[in-house]
Amino acid sequence: MTRPRFELLVCAVVLSTALREAETGSAAQPVEPRTPIRHLVVLMQQNHTFDNYFGTYPGADGTPHETCVPIEPANPHSTECVEPSHLDQYPDLSHSRNTFIHQYNGGRMDGFVSAHEIEGQDGTLALGYYDDRDLPYYWNLADEYVLFDRFFSSAHSGSVDNRMYWVAGVSAGGSDGSSRAYPDRPTIFDRLEEKGIEWKFYVRNFDPSLNYRNVGSAGMLEPQVQWLPLLSMDRFIDDPKLSSRIVDMEEFYEDVRRGTLPAVSYVMALGASEHPPSNLQGGQRVTKSMIQALMQSEAWDASAFLLTYDDWGGWYDHVVPPQIDGSGYGFRVPALLVSPYARRGYVDHTELDFASILRFIEDNWGLRPLARRDARANSIAGAFDFARPPREPRVIPWERFSSMEREEPRRGVIYASYGAAVALAALILAWAAHVAPETDRRSVHPFSGPTGAGGP
Amino acid sequence: MHDRDQRLTVTRVSSAGGHVQASQAGRLLNRCGARVESLAEIRLSDRALHRLVLGAVLGAGTALRLWQINALGLNSDEAVYAGQAAALAGDPVLSGMFPIFRAHPLLYQSALALVLRLGVSDLLGRLLGVAVGVATIYVVYRLGDELYGHTVGLLSAWFLALMPYHVVVTRQMLLDGPMTLFATLTLYLLARLSKSRHPAWLYGAGAAMGLTILAKETGIVLLASIYIYLALSPELRTRLRDVALSIACMALIVAPFPLSLLLAGGGSAISGRQYLIWQLFRRPNHDWDFYLTTVPEAIGPLLIAAALLGLWLLRAQNTWRERLLLAWAVVPVAYFQLWPVKGFQYLLPLAPVVAVLGARTLVRWAPQAGVGAAEGRPGWVSAWALAGPVVAVSLLVASWARVEPAPTAVFLAGSGGVAGGREAGVWVRDHVPQGGTLMTIGPSMANILQFYGHHKAYGLSVSPNPLHRNPSYQPIHNPDLQIRNGEIQYVVWDAYSAARSAFFSQKLRTYAQRYHGRVVHTESIDIATPGGEVISRPLIIVYQVRP
Repeated sequence: MTRPRFELLVCAVVLSTALREAETGSAAQPVEPRTPIRHLVVLMQQNHTFDNYFGTYPGADGTPHETCVPIEPANPHSTECVEPSHLDQYPDLSHSRNTFIHQYNGGRMDGFVSAHEIEGQDGTLALGYYDDRDLPYYWNLADEYVLFDRFFSSAHSGSVDNRMYWVAGVSAGGSDGSSRAYPDRPTIFDRLEEKGIEWKFYVRNFDPSLNYRNVGSAGMLEPQVQWLPLLSMDRFIDDPKLSSRIVDMEEFYEDVRRGTLPAVSYVMALGASEHPPSNLQGGQRVTKSMIQALMQSEAWDASAFLLTYDDWGGWYDHVVPPQIDGSGYGFRVPALLVSPYARRGYVDHTELDFASILRFIEDNWGLRPLARRDARANSIAGAFDFARPPREPRVIPWERFSSMEREEPRRGVIYASYGAAVALAALILAWAAHVAPETDRRSVHPFSGPTGAGGP
Repeated sequence: MHDRDQRLTVTRVSSAGGHVQASQAGRLLNRCGARVESLAEIRLSDRALHRLVLGAVLGAGTALRLWQINALGLNSDEAVYAGQAAALAGDPVLSGMFPIFRAHPLLYQSALALVLRLGVSDLLGRLLGVAVGVATIYVVYRLGDELYGHTVGLLSAWFLALMPYHVVVTRQMLLDGPMTLFATLTLYLLARLSKSRHPAWLYGAGAAMGLTILAKETGIVLLASIYIYLALSPELRTRLRDVALSIACMALIVAPFPLSLLLAGGGSAISGRQYLIWQLFRRPNHDWDFYLTTVPEAIGPLLIAAALLGLWLLRAQNTWRERLLLAWAVVPVAYFQLWPVKGFQYLLPLAPVVAVLGARTLVRWAPQAGVGAAEGRPGWVSAWALAGPVVAVSLLVASWARVEPAPTAVFLAGSGGVAGGREAGVWVRDHVPQGGTLMTIGPSMANILQFYGHHKAYGLSVSPNPLHRNPSYQPIHNPDLQIRNGEIQYVVWDAYSAARSAFFSQKLRTYAQRYHGRVVHTESIDIATPGGEVISRPLIIVYQVRP
């Protein structure tokens, strides 16, 4: 072998070794988050607006008192309008792009009733709202942790676009969800994979056999596929490593218990997603169960749990969504952050959307942005207070906190009355000992026989 | 003959020696002076000896009550009283779990609350119980002394100091200890009344009776004892006016119980009434022979035999004293036997009576039988000689067996601490998130876990029917729903409650299985099998559950 060839070979070996070491080194080296948050769990529920859930929550930007949405906004002579009212049902209102356009009405926000009337629905229902009677647990969470009142859905359309923003920071491109719902774009999970950061997508009632390639009997995709963007992307179906990260929600509890909760967890609670017409209790139960599992685990001290909703569901919301590009924002959705570092009872007014979640992940674990939206989005980081030590876990009750203070007995009365009784008894006994002759006890023979009481 | 009688006799002789002719006065005076001096020495040494013996008795009683006192954690009743006292002391956590007004008057809890202001502790409460127990030993000494002289007083105190029944109960934070103390004080004052007929002692007895009721309302039963005794003792010629004044004294002392319920607020009056109604109509909790099978063994069969034997053998000498003691014993025995609700410690006021009667038999019968007296020794020496090796040792052995911590999976309420309860509670306190809620088989373990664990616990067996439950307890109306709503996150099984209710034990396990129950903590004891193999048996198992 000639010398130059040998040198070339040595160089190649050294280089390849160095590269391999660098590669393995980077993979073995755990990526340290930039905040104390080592576990982010994001649960995305469905179809409610902020005003629909927290419109009457004290201290938040809720439904104004004077709200009355016209029934016929196009008719300048019509004075009929609908005021918000408490709901005792769970109607599934239209929430397509067209519905949004009618309701938004060029920023006048006066089409919430008429948009549904056009589609043959009872438009007055859009002004319906729930409160702590229906959402005691969520309201309790808001009291204790962070409620965002400027959290917008990313797109002025339904679940598919918004869920695409949730995972990839871009729109789904107008897919109607009837075939391959989501485009194959880089997602936050690809970014995490690149850095060797653990992630999982937990799905309640998950069926691993279902993906975009299985069309249901009615020609529609199964809900699992329709609402989980990754099941429309081939690599997440075919690559065993990636597909193994999409799991049933039961694994969440196991991971929490075993201490193997990944850095980033996305959760979809199928069957308990609060999507009308299902009731609100199921979603609250799942949320409570997950949060409690976290609180009962070692992961709690380094965790954050974010609850949000994929779209507005056709409900009224009074805040005009800023239009930052051609796709959004859509109307506000409820969002809550639960974490030992979350500010206590704080209403966060930062303008946020689903890309803000991506932004936090990217900032926390040092990832490249996926798209313009997440690159420019505000992070949810402002809701944390990392200057303070983590708060102890505290199980948030299911029942709403009572506004009435428990009536405490007057302890002074108890001490005084019992003390007086003892003092009085002591006085009587002392008096008896004083006035009764001490010699009485000496005056009788202890075994004096049956002569009766008193003795001699 | 009794030692004091000896002294009195000698004194009389000595005094008689003074009635002599004047010519011999000086000589006699010198002789008498010398005699009195030597008598004073004897008296002094006698008194010193008695004090020494009494000190030894009290010391032994204290030691027995303190031995390994905190080896096992509080039982359910203790946890309730300690929790009440902590709530009264203003403990922010326990205030939310233990209502101050729950069932009984608050005399003991108020005293305990003053102690717990220094810090909530299970040991402090038990030490207060021991102090009450030792005080009772002293009052029994005074009672025996008052009725039958020093020797019986000392022997009675010695028996009570060693008696397993009294030892076991006064090692605990229970209301029956203070109730027995004040009941014995009442008995003592009645004895003073009977001897002196001075009405001041009747008023004093009324006040002491008031304290008895204020310690535990079931003490009111002893009013019937007093009534029977006075009715059967016409020779006392107690005036109605004095009786009325005595009752007035008692009523004044008892008044804080209803008054604080009415005036303290916080729903206290309602809870007090509810509890009374429930007590009146609750179902039996033990078989009819419960006392027969538990209490005699705890008092000491030999001591009971001695007491009964004396009543029979010495029946010719029976006086108002025996009448008083019998009335004091018979009424509570009859009442609690008939009353459907039974508790191991309820008959504790009986203990001093049996101790005195047993001592009386031994002291009086032994000299008659010629033991000791024939050899010219004082009566108490012979009595101790007989009592020591037989009755006292039998009591001591039985007490020792009970105070030595020997964890078992079977528990009788009121008979001591609960193995594993404190440890499980501490685990709960350290590992269950704030606001976490537990479900136990019954309310007993719930009380213990609440006290030590600082977390709310509900008993599955607590009936949703208000007529069938202690109003202090909150039932779980729909355990399935509450677990599904995440309102209950832990399910706790324990061997003690399981032994009492197989049905609810099984039901609780069903919930654990249905809701992904995962064992997160176990308290166990090592027990030896008949084959000699040592196996670990779980006492308390904590499951984490979720929907």
